Amino acid sequence: MKNIFSVARYTYLEMVRNKILYILLFFSFFIIGLGIIITQMTMGNPQDIISDIGLGTTEIFLTVTSVFIGVSLVRRELTLKTLHPLFARPVSRAEYMLGKFFGIEITLFILTLVMSVIFMILLTFYGGFSRFFTFIPAIYTIFIQTSMVTAVAVFCSTLAEPAVAAMLSVSFYIIGTISYNLVHFITKNTSESVVKLVTTVRYILPDFHYFNIKNNLVYGTGIDKISLTSATFYSLAWIVILLALAVVFFNKKEIN
Amino acid sequence: MNYPVVLENVVKIYSHPMKVWEKVVSVNDLSFELPEGRVTGFVGHNGAGKTTTIKMIMGFITPTKGKISVLGKEPSDVISKKKIGFLPERPYFYTHLNSREFLSYFGSLSGLSRSDLDRLIPLTLKRVGLEDLGKRRLSSFSKGMLQRIGIAQAIIHDPDLVIMDEPMSGLDPIGRKEVKDVIASLRRDGKTVLFSSHILSDVEDLSDNVLVLSKGQKQYSGSLEALLERNISKYEIVFSAKNEGAVFNDFPKAEKLSKTYLLSFATDEEMSKALYELIAKKYTIINAGAVRPKLEEIVYGGEI
Repeated sequence: MKNIFSVARYTYLEMVRNKILYILLFFSFFIIGLGIIITQMTMGNPQDIISDIGLGTTEIFLTVTSVFIGVSLVRRELTLKTLHPLFARPVSRAEYMLGKFFGIEITLFILTLVMSVIFMILLTFYGGFSRFFTFIPAIYTIFIQTSMVTAVAVFCSTLAEPAVAAMLSVSFYIIGTISYNLVHFITKNTSESVVKLVTTVRYILPDFHYFNIKNNLVYGTGIDKISLTSATFYSLAWIVILLALAVVFFNKKEIN
Repeated sequence: MNYPVVLENVVKIYSHPMKVWEKVVSVNDLSFELPEGRVTGFVGHNGAGKTTTIKMIMGFITPTKGKISVLGKEPSDVISKKKIGFLPERPYFYTHLNSREFLSYFGSLSGLSRSDLDRLIPLTLKRVGLEDLGKRRLSSFSKGMLQRIGIAQAIIHDPDLVIMDEPMSGLDPIGRKEVKDVIASLRRDGKTVLFSSHILSDVEDLSDNVLVLSKGQKQYSGSLEALLERNISKYEIVFSAKNEGAVFNDFPKAEKLSKTYLLSFATDEEMSKALYELIAKKYTIINAGAVRPKLEEIVYGGEI
């Protein structure tokens, strides 16, 4: 446990000192700034538009960051050979992998807080301070979805080079985001075998539909506690499965 | 005698990265034992299989065949690594950390407590000549400095077995001297050390034992002294004379040096006989003994 904590702590330190993280953060602020301009140019409720852009930017920024960090951290250490002195210590590969994952999670949690504060300031500027608190469940689901994407990225990084691993992770994310709607679209028009195939894909791959509650909150449809709880357990189950598989593959890997 | 590291008939075969049907034998039927409390120099040409052997001992890669025991356990055993210090061939470390953070990280992974780290970090930095650079990030370090901080992380937890892959590489003469001092102090402390090096004079200065590898196969494993003695090619006597005119009459084969004379022999018996003669004829003996070849001549000259 102590080793996992040490690896997580220094992984967090590595990311906090990584310039690319700040470039991504700056870019997300830029998008939010763009959102303010769009608010001036459209007819809709400014609070709804700001909420849409704020939550959307938070989700995209955290997803991109988690894929970028998830695929590169372990692979980079393999390429740079920084793992040799590390695995010369009494540290198992499972401890290392979990430490890396939790280090990324701490960073993503802090980034989520930063993005939320920016979002809250913006909403307050448009007179929606109290409304911000109704969006906390959406921010929470974005965070647990991002955690799942991180686990996908870490898993993919044990299989392939960073570029391929990033493409794989993004593919998982896209399939996971659209698979629910895809099932409902094709049931009316397509053959039963295709429906079975798509339904199977939906069940065997991570399904990110569980985390999509922000529209319900922005446009007032509401959510229930059960969907938040089930999203949490669904995410946890996938994280455990993906990290366990990542450890199995990583244990078999020769560290040249 | 205990042997912290034992290799039995170890083979490592790699597949060609592009053509998987092509196999490359990196280490072939390698067996040796590392004696406890001794410094062993690990030598051989580039591509001889030294780094591959070290990686197998450290459990980073697994042998295709054969058995390796490290401190009585499998190389992959996590717990036994508390007693091992390791310096990799290329000193690539976490450049976003400063020296203190780096040693703190690796020390904590070896089970050192906060108070131990506070005490040991300054001492270890001083031992490798980096005492003034505790707060400097590794990203600004030269290769020699990285090598030193690498040695610091390898010894901070006072390991019983220290394995270093090219510890003198990239160091200036002062740096080399400091690293040699560290290895000498490890020897005095009774640690078992295995270090590979291309600088054979350093191996000769520091090692009790040598392990010579060529094309993945063991050429020699054992005492350095025995290897050097095995390769003695001649014996010499250096002497001076008061009556220089008589030297070439008494010893026609003598060679004139600047102020002295040199006699060379093929065997020690011939040398002993000449010594008695020199003493009887009142010549002054300055030096007499076997001429040992340099380790470099033995290893790279193919004389093993």
